[in-house]
Parts: sequence; C-alpha cells; structure tokens
Amino acid sequence: MSKISLTGNASGTGTLTIAAPNTNTDRTLNLPDAAGTLFVSGQALSATTGSFSGDVTLGSSVLATPSGSAPSYTCRAWVNFNGTGTVAIRASGNVSSITDLGTGLYQANFSTAMPDANYSVVWSTDYWFWMPNASTNTTTSSRITTVNTAAASVDVALVCMSVFR
Amino acid sequence: MTQRIIYPNDEGGVSIVIPAPECGLTIEQIAAKDVPAGKPFKIVDVADIPSDRTFRNAWEYVE
Repeated sequence: MSKISLTGNASGTGTLTIAAPNTNTDRTLNLPDAAGTLFVSGQALSATTGSFSGDVTLGSSVLATPSGSAPSYTCRAWVNFNGTGTVAIRASGNVSSITDLGTGLYQANFSTAMPDANYSVVWSTDYWFWMPNASTNTTTSSRITTVNTAAASVDVALVCMSVFR
Repeated sequence: MTQRIIYPNDEGGVSIVIPAPECGLTIEQIAAKDVPAGKPFKIVDVADIPSDRTFRNAWEYVE
C-alpha cells in the first residue's frame, strides 16, 4: 500500500488547515501520480510543461479542445470596421485604432505589438476583391487595399482582420 | 469615441486615425502610439471629417 506523508516546514510558523466543506456526500480527492505543486483559486497558473484535456472554461468563455492532436492557436488581434462614409470600428480586440489612409486603403494598429512581423494575417471584406498588403505588415500594424474589378481602390462597408502568430 | 486624429501623409494627403472604442487608451495615448513619429497631428471631432468620401484622396491636411 502506498502511503500519504504530511511534512511540516521548519522555517515557517503558520498552521495549515485542511477543512471539510458543508456536505453530506462522501468524496475522494485523487492526487496525481507525479511530483509538482497544486494550484489553488486566485493563484496565477503557470507551468512549463503539461497540458489540459477536454473543454477549458475561462470566465464566461469556453475554449473547446479540437479533435486530433494538432495544436490550436488563438487570434492575437482582430477588428471589424466600416470603411465607408464615417469610417468607424464596430468591434475589436488588441487593436488601438485603424488608420484611413485614403480610398480603400486601411491600416489596423495593434494595441500590443506582435513579437515579429512573421504573423499570418487574414483580411476579409463584403466586396469582391481585396489585396492584403503583406509588404507593409509590421509588428505594430497591418494594411489592406480594397479594389474593384478595374483594380481601382474603393471603400468597403465591411472590413475584418484577424492575426495569428 | 467621437474624436479622430488627422496627420499629413507622405503622398500629400491626409491620414485619419479612428480610435477603437474598447481599447482602453485615451485619444492622446493613441495619437502618441499610432501617428508616425515626427508627424504633426490634430485631434478633431468626428463631425469635422466629411462623410462624403467621393474625393477622399484629394483631402489635404491644413496646418
């Protein structure tokens, strides 16, 4: 039979108490068969190795674990804006502003910079054509030019961007 | 936000910075971060920016 050992700390003076909740149900806490530190609520979670399985709930959001073993990467910045009339941002994340540089030429400015410019940026619009301007992607911004079938720049009502890195 | 930041661009026109409403930064902080270094800029009301963009590329920055 394996054993459980509770070890005090000679340097400390506090008393650690294991308290039972108010319950009428018998429960068992299964300890992991590994060395390490258990985390408690309110403590910053950090680990250099290890993984979660199943759905991970963070606040009101749920990150669903995809099938298979391929890793998933979350979006680092995104924006949805109206590029016509009074140009305005509808919603965004990690975007401090957009810059209207001229007809059909827009730039998204990141609140927090990317680690480098080698990110994957996805632009989309409700128009037929657009040209992400990869040559002007920087750690702090990304640009797009929206054009019509004659390759002339045009303003577009729905413009969206997502950045993955 | 009901304000915009304008600055002259290198093509002789004007660039307009539209702040993200939920970014948590003030208009001044956004100007300091998103206006290219060394460019003069103005903070203006959104109503001062024409909504008719027919001749958008002809707009100019006036000191």
